Amino acid sequence: MSVTLVPIGMLKEYASGQERLHLAAGPTVAEMLEAVGIPPELVAGVIRDGDLVSQEYCPRDGETVKVLAIMGGG
Amino acid sequence: MNGYAGRILRVNLSDGAITTEPTPEDVVRDFLGGRGLGAYLLWTEVPQGADPLGPENKLFISPGPLSGTLFPGAGKMDFTTRSPLTGGYADASMGGMLTAEIKYAGYDSIILEGISPKPVYLYIDDDTVELRDASEYWGMGSFALEKQLKDELGEEFQIATIGPAGENLVKYACINHDFGRQAGRGGVGTVMGAKKIKAIAVRGTGGIPIADVNEFIRLGKEAYRACKEADGFKAWTRYGTMIVTSWCDKNGALPTRNFQSGSFEDASNIYAPVFRRTIVVTDKGCFGCPSPCGKYAYSKKYDIYVEGPEYETNGMLGSDVGLSDIEDIAKANQLCDELGLDTISAGGCIAWAMECYEKGILDREQTDGLELRFGNAEATFALIERIARREGRLGSLLAEGVKHAAAEVGQGSERWAIHVKGMEQSAYDTHSATSMLLAYMTADVGAHHNRAWAITYDIAEGRDKVSPDKAAKVIELQHTRPLMDVLGCCRLQWVELGMSLDYYAPAVTALTGVEYSWEDLLHISERVWNLTRMIWVREVEDFGRGWDAPAPRFVEEPAVGGPTDGQFTPPEAAQQMLDYYYEQRGWDENGIPTPETLERMGLAELVEADSA
Repeated sequence: MSVTLVPIGMLKEYASGQERLHLAAGPTVAEMLEAVGIPPELVAGVIRDGDLVSQEYCPRDGETVKVLAIMGGG
Repeated sequence: MNGYAGRILRVNLSDGAITTEPTPEDVVRDFLGGRGLGAYLLWTEVPQGADPLGPENKLFISPGPLSGTLFPGAGKMDFTTRSPLTGGYADASMGGMLTAEIKYAGYDSIILEGISPKPVYLYIDDDTVELRDASEYWGMGSFALEKQLKDELGEEFQIATIGPAGENLVKYACINHDFGRQAGRGGVGTVMGAKKIKAIAVRGTGGIPIADVNEFIRLGKEAYRACKEADGFKAWTRYGTMIVTSWCDKNGALPTRNFQSGSFEDASNIYAPVFRRTIVVTDKGCFGCPSPCGKYAYSKKYDIYVEGPEYETNGMLGSDVGLSDIEDIAKANQLCDELGLDTISAGGCIAWAMECYEKGILDREQTDGLELRFGNAEATFALIERIARREGRLGSLLAEGVKHAAAEVGQGSERWAIHVKGMEQSAYDTHSATSMLLAYMTADVGAHHNRAWAITYDIAEGRDKVSPDKAAKVIELQHTRPLMDVLGCCRLQWVELGMSLDYYAPAVTALTGVEYSWEDLLHISERVWNLTRMIWVREVEDFGRGWDAPAPRFVEEPAVGGPTDGQFTPPEAAQQMLDYYYEQRGWDENGIPTPETLERMGLAELVEADSA
């Protein structure tokens, strides 16, 4: 039972530079972010299969979600 | 002359003289192209005190060295002039296909000077350059004219136009191109209108000389691949800049009801997924773009097509005027584009007027019958039309910009006129973000975000923190982001996809054959920044610290609701940030570059020559 969390851009710095984090399924993305030390307010979006989902989304077993850094505005 | 076309095209609209001259090698070595070349030409060619709408002001239309090449995002160009909106320095960058065409036609800059006795358009087909009568086009909308000229001249011509707003000298008229790309800010379209030049049509069939072709191709392909393989590629391409709407809303940065709040109760209706699901038809990119951020949309409600809204328009013609239906925002966007208005300034002016109306400072007679409440879509559409055509008392007033309008109306309305240096602030609330507030205060065209975007830094470091580090970050961004406008390429590959900045110096070196390090490029960007500051010093008699003041709302009045509820930046904190900033820039306490700084920037001789 695990999901893969992929921090993008500067968010990697908050996850000790890790490219992919394998976490237990169950919690919401927001809870996962807190657990690994990524400030949720720096996340522009959570991407599942190319679509934006909210930080309240609970990834299912085997799923990969990417968390996108807010980087530079328009 | 590798990397450049090698010629500058000069068009005198007063007497119709059309000439070319060699691009000065030492100038492009020291200033590069785009906004760098434009700032240099503005400084050296436009006399002090020239009326922005008079014959002495000029419009410089400049691709950059990377424009038209295979480097990712090489579809940008820059319009530089003395701003009719602010009275100071202005440049506006524009994407699309025109920049490549100008370069292929053989020009590093097009200088428009004088005033034509009648409406004309500039026709360029490589070396064939003509001023053609445009009397029959005067009054046409931007999209309509672009289509007509494409029909008449051929699809391969790239066209830039102004709409009725530019003709009517609305102070924030924009230049339109490619059915949805704009040089939006500072009134560059107003200057075209004043010069009676309705459009520019360009076809180029030449090439760009490259010093080290193999190395440049290798770097370009590698950088392109890095963009395509970026983790965020799919999401950024799917949503474009609209993706930041929800983030701004949740972090108190989404301008709401004239920046009274940074969070909008109906914002979820205008988030990116709603936009993508309900109105987006297809993605649309500029020349050489690996990650098209443009979203071409269709509104069934209004039966219109429009490119957008992108984030800034979503904020300024959406939440900031209280609109929460994405199709209403698309309609307001389409009207502004067709009429030739900058959506950011238009939204800022309308939001100010709505607040005046709700506070009883403007009544129904003064709004020419409009029920000008936040959230009234029909009133918003009507006012956009009236501004563009200068119809009625309010339309005429708002056509001058919010600074002028507030000074005219008075009664305290200056307190909620959201601008810096006379330019309406773009779509980031700065009640509680000291770096971003400083970025707006010191941006060299007025309150525009494209010079430095620092809110994430505020959040990471502490939103209300006042520190030299924050000023340093703003300065770093003010050198890096506008560098893209100097090079003639888009910053979004870097800021959105995280494409490494390490590509730029080797690419410019391989292109031009001149050895540039990253530090060299940043130094050039800093040189340009100091020159644009000197343009303000030269053109505005009392220019100094007072011109870097933030909009009063952010330093006097707490935000209402949302995550920044009750927060604002104390005025002394804003001034302290300015002190740090001036000191690190090598400017005096009044914000004027010192002689030593000008010397260090290699500008002393240029400035001295002008004084003499």
